[in-house]
Amino acid sequence: MSETHTNDELLAHTPLFDQHIELGGKMVPFAGFSMPVQYRQGALKEYQWVREGGSGIFDITHMAQVRVEGQQALEYLQYVTTNDVSALVDGQVQYSALLNTQGTFIDDITTYRIDAHHYYLCINAANRHKDVAHLLQEAKNFDVRVVDESDSTTLLALQGATAQSLLQPIINHDLELIGYYRFAQVQIEGIDAIVSRTGYTGEDGFEIYIPNKAAQSVWQALTAAGAMPIGLAARDMLRTEMGYALYGHEINDQVTPVEAKLMWITKLSKGDFIGRDAVLARKEQGANNKLIALKVTGRGIPREHYLVHCDGKEVGFITSGMHSPLAGGGVALAYVSPDFAESDTLTIDIRGKAIATERTTTPFVRSNVRK
Amino acid sequence: MTIPADLKYTKEHEWVRIEGDQATIGLTDHAQEALGDIVFVELPELDRELSIEEAFAVVESVKAVSDVYSPVAGTVLSINESLEETPESVNSDPYGDGWIAKVQLSNSDTSHLMDAEAYAALLAE
Repeated sequence: MSETHTNDELLAHTPLFDQHIELGGKMVPFAGFSMPVQYRQGALKEYQWVREGGSGIFDITHMAQVRVEGQQALEYLQYVTTNDVSALVDGQVQYSALLNTQGTFIDDITTYRIDAHHYYLCINAANRHKDVAHLLQEAKNFDVRVVDESDSTTLLALQGATAQSLLQPIINHDLELIGYYRFAQVQIEGIDAIVSRTGYTGEDGFEIYIPNKAAQSVWQALTAAGAMPIGLAARDMLRTEMGYALYGHEINDQVTPVEAKLMWITKLSKGDFIGRDAVLARKEQGANNKLIALKVTGRGIPREHYLVHCDGKEVGFITSGMHSPLAGGGVALAYVSPDFAESDTLTIDIRGKAIATERTTTPFVRSNVRK
Repeated sequence: MTIPADLKYTKEHEWVRIEGDQATIGLTDHAQEALGDIVFVELPELDRELSIEEAFAVVESVKAVSDVYSPVAGTVLSINESLEETPESVNSDPYGDGWIAKVQLSNSDTSHLMDAEAYAALLAE
């Protein structure tokens, strides 16, 4: 078989590196960190565990957090993000994006409102430095302080039907009171933490922001209670089955929210924001490409970069694809040129063979998030 | 790490069982462990002619697509179609139910292949 070899790189470690090694983690470079792509049990078992009712615990400390506070925190965030920040109440989260002046994506993010003058942004690991530089630059025009707190923050996700029951014993706050896309400032073993009912898997669950010093004890407590450690490969399977965007795949600096089907987080009516004019123009002119969902009806696994054809003509490409055990076959997200986005005869080129597909909608499998 | 003594091996981690002028080919225990959960196998066509080191099958794990290279020269005699339904046999029984193809040898020279001891030494490097 063919093997790939990774280069030796100077990689950062999260506070849980030793735990990952002990659990048989296969470590790979990811956004400058050494992260587990899977553990001893393998990605397929990890994915199945989370889908079949177990709780999975994910070390996602490589992700970045930025604190935004000041008199004009709201005005600033309204200007730099796409979603309507004024719709948030204390303890609420929204999915959002940072655009550049061309209306294309700098990143997708989540915005947490602590109070009217105090917010947190959670941003992608791979875009941390780019995002922070942009946020600091824009902050110069507002009475606001922007602080990169990534290095001191550990982020864990606990996802699955039993997540709440596993987490409740170590939290001093009734988790039942935290609704979907809401969060609370809590204490875990006396240490201040933020717990939100959010996630990237389509299961009920939480994201847990803690200071680095609490990382190991919280991880041990949750794994001892029965949470299975889940690596990046299973994480990618779970989010793809939901049709959730991943920067570098469905969103990048070449597409606007019009193409990426993210107009629902782009509130053109809220007032001016970076990229608004460009997005409006694109909306009026029509998307350059359409993001569609495909289910493979032939035999083969669709993967990123494979080409999409219509009657032998190249009309698009896969952005994310996988074998979905739950959906019973290959599923993929693809950008397709608008004239062919409604076609019923799209095929995927897999090693020179045209594999049949049918158009579908996301999520590819049932979402169990608590609405 | 299992390395059956009666098989021959390649540096690309294929095993081959030679029985007269026929050979059975699969992936070694080391290979299946390195690849992770196999979710798809693309088998060769029957009667296809293979040369040594020619890529003739594909195994796909969750994350990666890997070529399988032929340890021998010959014609594809039979393929393990059960891998279409249960590709995980490559993981669970790499030397048994996980076999990939049987080849009618056109050349019985096996001097280019490693024995079990040499393969073990390669893995130890």
